[in-house]
Amino acid sequence: MPSPSRSNLYIGLICIIFAITLIFVWIPLDTDSGIVEKVRGRFNIGDALAPTVAACFVLVGSILLLVSERNDAFQPVLGNSHFSFIASLMVVTIVSLLVMRFAGPFFAEIANLFRAEPIEYRLLRATPGWKHVGFVLGGVMMVSGIIAIVERGFSRRGLLTAVLAVVVMILVFDVPFEDLLLPPNGDV
Amino acid sequence: MGVLDYIWLGVLAVFQGPEAFTLFGIAVSITLVMVLAGFLFGIVVGATPGLAGPFAMAISLPILISIFGYSPDALLPVMGFLIGIMKGATIGGAVPAILFNTPGTPDAFMTTLDGYPMAQRGQAKKALRVAHFSSASGDTFSDLVLFVCAPFLAILVEAYLDLPEKTGLLILSLSFIAAVIGGSPGKGLISIGLGLLAVYVGTGEDFYPRLSMGSDELSRGFPITTAVLGVLIIGAVFKGLEETWRENRGSRPTPNVPETGDQKLHWPEIKRLLPFISRSALIGTGIGALPGVGSTLAATLGYSVGRARHAKTKAPDAPEFGKGAPEGIAATEAANSAVSGANLIPVLSLGIPGNAAAVFLILATETIGGFNPGPAVFRFSADVVNPELVVAFGLFTCMTIANLFNWTIGGVFMRSMGFMIRIPKQLLLPSVLLLTLTAIYVQETRLEAIWFALGFGVLGYFMRVLAISPLPFVIAFILGKSLEETARQAYSATGNDPFFLLNNPIALAFILMSVAVIIFSGRKPKKAAS
Repeated sequence: MPSPSRSNLYIGLICIIFAITLIFVWIPLDTDSGIVEKVRGRFNIGDALAPTVAACFVLVGSILLLVSERNDAFQPVLGNSHFSFIASLMVVTIVSLLVMRFAGPFFAEIANLFRAEPIEYRLLRATPGWKHVGFVLGGVMMVSGIIAIVERGFSRRGLLTAVLAVVVMILVFDVPFEDLLLPPNGDV
Repeated sequence: MGVLDYIWLGVLAVFQGPEAFTLFGIAVSITLVMVLAGFLFGIVVGATPGLAGPFAMAISLPILISIFGYSPDALLPVMGFLIGIMKGATIGGAVPAILFNTPGTPDAFMTTLDGYPMAQRGQAKKALRVAHFSSASGDTFSDLVLFVCAPFLAILVEAYLDLPEKTGLLILSLSFIAAVIGGSPGKGLISIGLGLLAVYVGTGEDFYPRLSMGSDELSRGFPITTAVLGVLIIGAVFKGLEETWRENRGSRPTPNVPETGDQKLHWPEIKRLLPFISRSALIGTGIGALPGVGSTLAATLGYSVGRARHAKTKAPDAPEFGKGAPEGIAATEAANSAVSGANLIPVLSLGIPGNAAAVFLILATETIGGFNPGPAVFRFSADVVNPELVVAFGLFTCMTIANLFNWTIGGVFMRSMGFMIRIPKQLLLPSVLLLTLTAIYVQETRLEAIWFALGFGVLGYFMRVLAISPLPFVIAFILGKSLEETARQAYSATGNDPFFLLNNPIALAFILMSVAVIIFSGRKPKKAAS
């Protein structure tokens, strides 16, 4: 019985276009040497060969999908709900990571409003408390936000889980090891 | 230095390595402790629906590296822990399958078919004992085959395969993996192609890092942890979250069936199970030795073969397969557990990972250094000690120790893990996501690694939605550089012969086999459809 979904056909077509673009546009424009290059009268393998082989794998796979697997009985359906779900996850994750990245420097600037001598977050990133600000805020936001998406609403249980998860991670990665840096302290 | 000397050095490396503590005046090595810790952790993870061995391995690796560092002394404790997880997760997966009809790991799905009906009849503990006995038997058999076969295969490869043949072998492995994983050769090849493409970004021999689009971030390439953890772990977390979101179920009521009858496993029952266990152990080991063929297929095949035998030999009043037959659990568990040891045959002898657990073992060796899985490991040099060979026998010793733990305390610990089902996935998976991102960051210490990992996670999610297996992607990512290097060396070694793959009979045979594997596996669904 044919599948109601035609996803194999669409995957095949998209991948063929991608592979052809790779072989004829991206790889030639974005590598210094070609598939083979002549150096002192001898041919050597160029940097473009390996990505071209990769593109050929994609191309052959796509052709196979179009020729022999186009009418497979089981073909997955890619619907709008997949895109909306992953988009909502990404929004929460990206916002949380931005909070994680900028919370420490932001609070340092706030503290500077009340201090005569200004402080710089970069110099505080090994100081307990300061070094945890970004990770705690961003981490709690990420975990509780994703739980809220899946449970379709915020809950105290979700928030407590997030706090517990962040505390456990600090205990695992930060407390026992002096040389490990929690995010974002390697970048600030 | 003879073979026995190397084996003995490997055993000593485990037992006389750095000391963890002293017990009754006897020094207990850190490697032993790590194998035990990994094994117990693996059972816990396997018994938790939504998690699996690779999750635990991914999260543990950066912590282990932080504890043990990058010295060669770190290899055995770190690898011992990962091997422990691999073995523990295999038996742990049977717990929720039997008690709650929810497989803890994908390969335990077939265990639900007979395990859950047995639990419903009040025979849960007996079912768990059958699962543990069969799993430990299959695993031990598979390890013994590994210990014998891996060195022989490696020696054969070193003796008969030169650079062109090795290039051909890598292409054959990738084609085989594309053809067999996920059941769609077309999608498998696409997954391989994307994995190769990803590893070639920002690398190469030219001054300009290829495919980097002039970007500084891409010019350094994608760190291996971001690609592997992104596609395998973060992608799986996203998919698990989506499934939980769709199910939108609250906490599931757990059935409470009182125990009835004898829960112990007696010798006459074991004797009845042994033919099923031995057949499945052979099937699992054979399948495990082929790169890319997973334990789920082994479990399905073992179950089918067991069912055929059971239909002929069963007593009239004994339950059929699928209705609570202990033989069904035995056939499944022996087969899926026998894959784990044999899966290391291509890893150790050829450097080709066959499953997700093997991917993390290779990742560990690449991160720590000092041990490069492949045929060169088994070079029995007589005058100078080959340290990689000592490590290899140390790993075999770790596997044997993990098996001993499995036989002695594994069953008791496994049977106490039923409560893990009560941890809701929607609380667990977001925490795993943060844990994975943190683990990536502490290794790479730059936020762009997290962005890359998220990007790979989204790719892994859509691959799962579209039924494209992410494992060929990861294996291609790991093998990509080696494929290019071997091809470049083969090209030079054959005097710049552009047809080096076709002019060498063994390499040509490998290439023809690659083509044949793709063509024949591509034709199979068509026949089935008609």
